[in-house]
Amino acid sequence: MATIDFGYTISKPRAIDLDRNNLRKSDEILREMPELQACIGCGSCTAVCTAGSLTTFNFRKVHTLVRRGEYQGAYEEMNKCMLCGKCRLVCPRGINTRGVALLIKRKLGDF
Amino acid sequence: MKKTIIIGSGVAGMQTALCLAERGIEPLIIEKESEPGGKLRGWHVLFPSFTPAEEVLGELRHRVREQGIEVMTNAEAVGLTPQSVTLADGRQLTGDAVVLTSGFTLFDARIKEEYGYGIYDNVFTSADIERMMAEGRVTKADGTAPQRIAFLHCVGSRDEKVCQQHCSRVCCITGVKQAMEMKRLFPGAEVFNFYMDIRMFGPGYEEMYREAQQRCNIHFVRGRISEAAPTLDGRVQIKAEDTLTGRPLRMSVDMLVLLVGMRANDDNASLAASAGLKQAPSGFLEPRDLFLRSTESSTEGIFYAGTVTAPKNIGETLAEASATADAVAKFLEK
Amino acid sequence: MNFYAPFCLPFIVGAAVMFAVVAGKWSVWLWRLPRADKLRIARGLPSAATLRATGEVIGESLLHRRIFRIDPLLGYMHMSLAFGWFLLIAVGWAETIAHLGLRFVPLQGHVFFKYFATGLPHKPFFDLVMDLLLLFVLSGVALAWGKRFCSKALGMRRTTRHVVGDRIALSALWFIFPARLVAESTTCALYGGGGFLTGTLGTWMHDHISVMALMNLETAAWWIYSSALGLFFVAMPFSRYMHIFTEVPLIFLRHYRLQSGEKESSYDRFQVEACSRCGICIDPCQLQSVLGVDDVQSVYFLRDRRYGMLRREVADNCLMCGRCVEKCPVNIDLNTLRLNSRDAMHNVPDERRYDYFRGLDRSQGAGKVGYFAGCMTLLTPRTLTAMERIFTAAGDEVWWADREGGVCCGRPLKLAGETDSARRMMRYNTELFRKHGITTLVTSCPICLKVFREDYDLDGIEVLHHSEYILRLLETRRLTPDRRTTRYTYHDPCELGRGSGIYEAPRTVIEAVGELLEPAATRENAPCCGSSVANTAISDTQQLQIARTVTAELEDTGAEVVVTACPLCKKALGRGTTRPVADLAEIVAESLN
Repeated sequence: MATIDFGYTISKPRAIDLDRNNLRKSDEILREMPELQACIGCGSCTAVCTAGSLTTFNFRKVHTLVRRGEYQGAYEEMNKCMLCGKCRLVCPRGINTRGVALLIKRKLGDF
Repeated sequence: MKKTIIIGSGVAGMQTALCLAERGIEPLIIEKESEPGGKLRGWHVLFPSFTPAEEVLGELRHRVREQGIEVMTNAEAVGLTPQSVTLADGRQLTGDAVVLTSGFTLFDARIKEEYGYGIYDNVFTSADIERMMAEGRVTKADGTAPQRIAFLHCVGSRDEKVCQQHCSRVCCITGVKQAMEMKRLFPGAEVFNFYMDIRMFGPGYEEMYREAQQRCNIHFVRGRISEAAPTLDGRVQIKAEDTLTGRPLRMSVDMLVLLVGMRANDDNASLAASAGLKQAPSGFLEPRDLFLRSTESSTEGIFYAGTVTAPKNIGETLAEASATADAVAKFLEK
Repeated sequence: MNFYAPFCLPFIVGAAVMFAVVAGKWSVWLWRLPRADKLRIARGLPSAATLRATGEVIGESLLHRRIFRIDPLLGYMHMSLAFGWFLLIAVGWAETIAHLGLRFVPLQGHVFFKYFATGLPHKPFFDLVMDLLLLFVLSGVALAWGKRFCSKALGMRRTTRHVVGDRIALSALWFIFPARLVAESTTCALYGGGGFLTGTLGTWMHDHISVMALMNLETAAWWIYSSALGLFFVAMPFSRYMHIFTEVPLIFLRHYRLQSGEKESSYDRFQVEACSRCGICIDPCQLQSVLGVDDVQSVYFLRDRRYGMLRREVADNCLMCGRCVEKCPVNIDLNTLRLNSRDAMHNVPDERRYDYFRGLDRSQGAGKVGYFAGCMTLLTPRTLTAMERIFTAAGDEVWWADREGGVCCGRPLKLAGETDSARRMMRYNTELFRKHGITTLVTSCPICLKVFREDYDLDGIEVLHHSEYILRLLETRRLTPDRRTTRYTYHDPCELGRGSGIYEAPRTVIEAVGELLEPAATRENAPCCGSSVANTAISDTQQLQIARTVTAELEDTGAEVVVTACPLCKKALGRGTTRPVADLAEIVAESLN
């Protein structure tokens, strides 16, 4: 089929659209683990992360996106985590990061 | 003549004593160290004006001497009541009121083992840098000049892993100040500040931050360093996430400076217990009221000035000490 | 002689139901065992294992020796009920034979022999022994009642909260022996006989109660006795009392080397139903004693799993410190069972997961000795630099497996129930160790140590914890530290002590460099630091709460330095105390000249 080239391609909008995103899963996750809201995004978890130094996995980004209702790919990303627990040891806010990783996988397994 | 015992001879203690003496109340300062002056001793210059610390401290000391205010050194208070202070050697001092100006303790950076303080030669604390500057000799461990320096904010502050939840307030601006001084000493060096949040709360601070960024070309990276490791050539490799790009960052530096926070004194608990004072969860002592009676303790006749209640800068401490003297005078008039 | 009376009916029905259900359960469980396990049984049956198992059945199922070790009075209570009842049955049979010779007597004939034997001549010896035994059992029942009101007297601070079925069975059990006493005594009152207990009580009743009333009472008492037995027997296979019949085959199977594994298996049923819910596992649990979490302990975990109502929250909330395992009188493999429950809940077979491991190796150095610091140890660099000094001083060439970050050992994933993924890590690391040709693998992390020893296939590579490695260097004089006067105390990491049985090595090493002061709870009883990777349920604050109780005990020793041998424990304890906390390697490295 012939396609007309308009000189640009339409890609998924980049903006996080909180008018459209469904925060139901995000709310569920935060209800089970309210401490995740205490994240100040210091990046310590990602800095120590062994999986993160070997792949594009970024724990902080994944859980932040999930909290914004951006679930696409979160499960697959979280599956790169080795659950070693270094992140929990460095988190200045005392967040149970291993628990967060497991929780996100559990809640988003069907996405 | 009424007499007031002041515990601690830092800027808060000296300023309180001077203001009380002006009002005709006899102050007695007790100091556990062998020399008066508190934490400001050994500090180089003060933010945001780069005023030499000695200018402030020297002036206070001079006036204390001039007024003939008694300073008892090597005297550690272990218990107190509104009318008396018990010293570690068993002596008991009596007076009509007590002002607690015992300040804070610097966070021991060795506790954050992953930053390597006390393990690797080229990891320093902000207090070390200040001392080196005051001594006029800032170098790497091997005596050479650093080419690349990293400052890490919030070491022992806002960190629940070391049970210090509070913000120490002054480290952000200290980091900016020391970075600028480093740049002045070593114009060719690259200077990085790793931070979680930058809190520029005082007059002139924000301007100073901008100057550091724009004029001094100091790099600010938003991300907390997670680990430091030695490199074969004796430098320090640090790891952080550059959270603004969302990618892990690693770099080697010649000096890693840890901006250590202010934490509550360990003996606050026993002092509080001896006099029925209230201690906040952070370990600092809690004033009777945060707004209208912020210089009074929960026990009548015991007062606070300075960082014994919370982290403060020098200006705030001096202002509070005057207010405390005022409150003490009013109390003694009764 | 006719051995039937209407009151026997409840007993007969109850016993029939019980035997049918128990036999049914056993058959199904055995039938479902994997073939390898069945072969183990076939090979074990004719061997000495059977004899050893018989011995253990007598020692544990009847005498309850392990409970005696926990508390003598509690042990006596359990023994009097189990062994006493067993003897009542055994001596009862002997009594029947003594009276009637070897001939068939139906079950109820043995059980209610006193009722049927009124026409027979007395045998005072049996009267005496049977009364003694009844008194023995009754004393146990009295203690069991007492335990409801004051469990502390029997060495238990907390007891199990029972479900309704258990309460019914328990009440029936409490009634059985008092009812038997009354029934036998009334029979003695009417027909004479009996020993110092039933006889005396019978005589008293004879003197004070009219014959008519006694006859009514006799019928009623035997009915109650039989009904209590019947009710207990019906409830038994469905309640905690199933353990009576399950512990016996369990002991045999264990001696035939059957084991629970990382996946659920039929053998697990024997372990799960062998739990008597005695509740001894509750007191050692720090989640209970420090945090007040009271529904996740092994007794509740096994109960929920048995009745198919296990919730994730219960399975996941456990430190797996093994303190309850040490105390379990039935020796149930509690941690393995919990792990395979987690596997059943969380395991996701995904062959492509961790494909990124391929071709990844950032290790440095070369040598016959491989050092796997462990992820957590990378955050305690004082341990790393100390190990470096020790390796240099000992003159060992070392291959550093994970200094630049390596693949995790896999145990954290296994502990979270993601067993298949954990296996991928184990395969990766095994290949890595083989590729570098090491003969000794040293690790500073007890979590890694345990998984290397138990789950890795590392034939030809000796796996050592650094405490064992250092001890070996000391013994061969390759390391000669100075002994100083520093006073140390030592915290046993769970995975090193209870998990891997290493208690002596770190202690010997500490004593080589200074003085060792033991805390109140130590070795097998040592508490967990609270930061166990096995628990993803408790919060940071709760971890800290546990750590503070542990450091308080360590500080009480008066030691200047707290020593441990696990990076995670070190971090956790450091939060709870202002005293210096050091790894074993550090204090050795400091003492090198």
